[in-house]
Amino acid sequence: MSNTVTRIRLAVAAAASIAVLAGCSSPAPSGNASAASCAPATGKVTLQYWNTVPGMDQVVALWNKENPNIQVQTKNISNDQYGTIGNALKAGKAPDLAQVGYDELPDLRTQNAFVDASACSAATAAKSDFVPWTWSQTSFGGTGVYAFPQDTGPMALYVRTDIFKKYGVAIPTTWDEYAADAQKLHKADPKLDITYFDPNNAEWFNGLLWQNNAEMYNYSGGKWQVSVTSAQSKQVADYWQKLISDKLVRTDLANGSTQMYAAFQKNEIATSVGAAWGYSMMRDNLPSQAGKWSIVPMPTWGSSAASGDWGGSTVAFMKGSTHLYESVKFNTWLNTNPEALALENKLGGLYPAATAGSKLPALSQGVPYYNNEKIFDVFAAASKKIDTSFSWGPTQKTVNLALQDAMAKATAGNGTLSDALTAAQASALKSMKDLAIPAAAGK
Amino acid sequence: MTDIATRATRVVAATGGRRRLNGGGPRAGTIAAFLIPFFLPFVLFYLVPIGYALWQSFLVVRRTGGQYGTSYTTFGGFEQYVQVFQNNEFWSSIGRIGLFGIVQVPVMLFVALIMALLLDTPLLKIKSFFRITAFMPYAVPGVIAAIMWSFLYSPQLSPLIDLLNGIGLHPDFLGPGAVLWSAANVSTWLWTGYNMLIMFSALQAIPQELYEAAKLDGASNWAIAWKIKVPIIAPSIILTTVFSIIGTLQLYAEPAVLRQISSNISSTFTPNMLAYAVASGNNYQQAAAISVVIALITFVLSFGFMRLTSKRAGL
Repeated sequence: MSNTVTRIRLAVAAAASIAVLAGCSSPAPSGNASAASCAPATGKVTLQYWNTVPGMDQVVALWNKENPNIQVQTKNISNDQYGTIGNALKAGKAPDLAQVGYDELPDLRTQNAFVDASACSAATAAKSDFVPWTWSQTSFGGTGVYAFPQDTGPMALYVRTDIFKKYGVAIPTTWDEYAADAQKLHKADPKLDITYFDPNNAEWFNGLLWQNNAEMYNYSGGKWQVSVTSAQSKQVADYWQKLISDKLVRTDLANGSTQMYAAFQKNEIATSVGAAWGYSMMRDNLPSQAGKWSIVPMPTWGSSAASGDWGGSTVAFMKGSTHLYESVKFNTWLNTNPEALALENKLGGLYPAATAGSKLPALSQGVPYYNNEKIFDVFAAASKKIDTSFSWGPTQKTVNLALQDAMAKATAGNGTLSDALTAAQASALKSMKDLAIPAAAGK
Repeated sequence: MTDIATRATRVVAATGGRRRLNGGGPRAGTIAAFLIPFFLPFVLFYLVPIGYALWQSFLVVRRTGGQYGTSYTTFGGFEQYVQVFQNNEFWSSIGRIGLFGIVQVPVMLFVALIMALLLDTPLLKIKSFFRITAFMPYAVPGVIAAIMWSFLYSPQLSPLIDLLNGIGLHPDFLGPGAVLWSAANVSTWLWTGYNMLIMFSALQAIPQELYEAAKLDGASNWAIAWKIKVPIIAPSIILTTVFSIIGTLQLYAEPAVLRQISSNISSTFTPNMLAYAVASGNNYQQAAAISVVIALITFVLSFGFMRLTSKRAGL
């Protein structure tokens, strides 16, 4: 701590050098990078692939054994995924391929992190191998190919069927029924709530917005059009605000926390709006509730059967890669080859974005924990019903934090979730302005 | 500075570091040889990062070629600083931390002083046991301490809350009003022993003759403690206060960990958390400006406090 005193004193001393340093800011660049070339290399090639998936080194070992001329080196960056990638980009030392979440794609593309792989015919041909919404994310709805989808988090409803049966309540299929059930269950047992609302989980809430066709970002007229406060978003916000105000959902449980599982264990929560990758978490954290959980489609809005996505990642083609042809080859294998997909599912719990994924033995059989139900059929069906024109914003991390802070205020009785959308909208516009990204409030 | 370093290295290399310590050149070489192990890391890991942060804080981001074009930075004068001063989140985090400091620092130092004085009396037996147990929390890393306490604060897991529920009390340690003080409690638990040890060391340095003289004059133990011991160790108390002011302004670990289980801690709860949040949103220039302002506030408060107290105490 005493160092701080020294540091501060020095900070003032160093202020003198500012005038010198200010002269050397990074110069204005001259135009964009030229189109990538897809020529195969002669001889042996080594690719760098950074990811956060447990067991990915074993998947890559399988590839390396079969492909002596395209060797892949992996690095696990789960400690600080985007910090590591961001720093590498600044230093000009980005890997050939890196794992990037769907919601971070526009952010990294804005930082000029990607190379367009569409110069390789194999890259554009891969389109048909993936679930449509995932491809629209990695191509930004255009003709470029900046990443291949890897895994997804189509959403569904995890239900304690025993609790619903006990109180004679029907399992909801629409959000209206869900709200009515919330009331019935809480009335039957004041300690029981239909679910929890975690205000610090913007990713989850964004999945709910996605389901209701709330398109928060669009690029048109040379600007990002920001419409976080659209009528569709507001409908979702008002719906959950009512559940919160009526004290029909818990707001004190952080998703995935020990506290959340403790509440599940004490039979205080009847349902959870979750993603495909969550199936193993229930199984592993609540072994005594085997056979009590079931997975059904997410409740729907009106006549729309749409679902949402929560989480999932892509493997992006990073700028600076000199081996695009080989990167495409490996990336294709990594995310469409049944053997690779099966191993990634087994070791890393990934729910694949490739359509071939649903045919994997592990993903087409009944799951013992869930009464041998074919739960992955539910997720596969959900994934087909996810809006393909949804886009994330280029400053999503900042906006998510602002949304969370305001949602937390709302759950503490200070403002509403609708106010939280307003805060997120303001944060989106300000953060884009700070980074000189052209933006305007959309309709 | 690099210039001096290179020259020094050259001199050291030329002399082989074996010359006697008299005369001009060789002597300068020896000095340089002793200084380089300090100066090189000092420049690389202190001066350069601080200079870099200062430089960053005067830059702004610009962009060419639309939303997916290329960004670059350019000199923007005080633009980032204007934004810091206009940022309500920043000032509320400073206000929050100010309230924290005004309450937590005196409480912690008072408890530390009492403990140090107790350890220094002949009345207390098994002193080394008490000294070590009081100091032990300091050996626990802040993050671990916060995780440990978060289990005690959590209604679903805490044996403490179960116990309090049993006697009809239902505290909410993580509620909007309470969570700041729950974080303060973790800091107090962590740092009281450390501060106590500094004060206790100062007490140990007081010559016994002073106490004998006081006793001969008829002073009670109470009078010795408050009229002799406390005034003599005043410099240590001031030092620990300055450390605590700095620590408070840099508060990060405790609230960041409690944030995992309480939504009442926002991402901008403390100034450092705000700087981190801004940096993670790629706005390094703004984060640098926030950091510089935090450093300046720390500088003003700690040196202001030292000036104030040194005048009063006549030190």
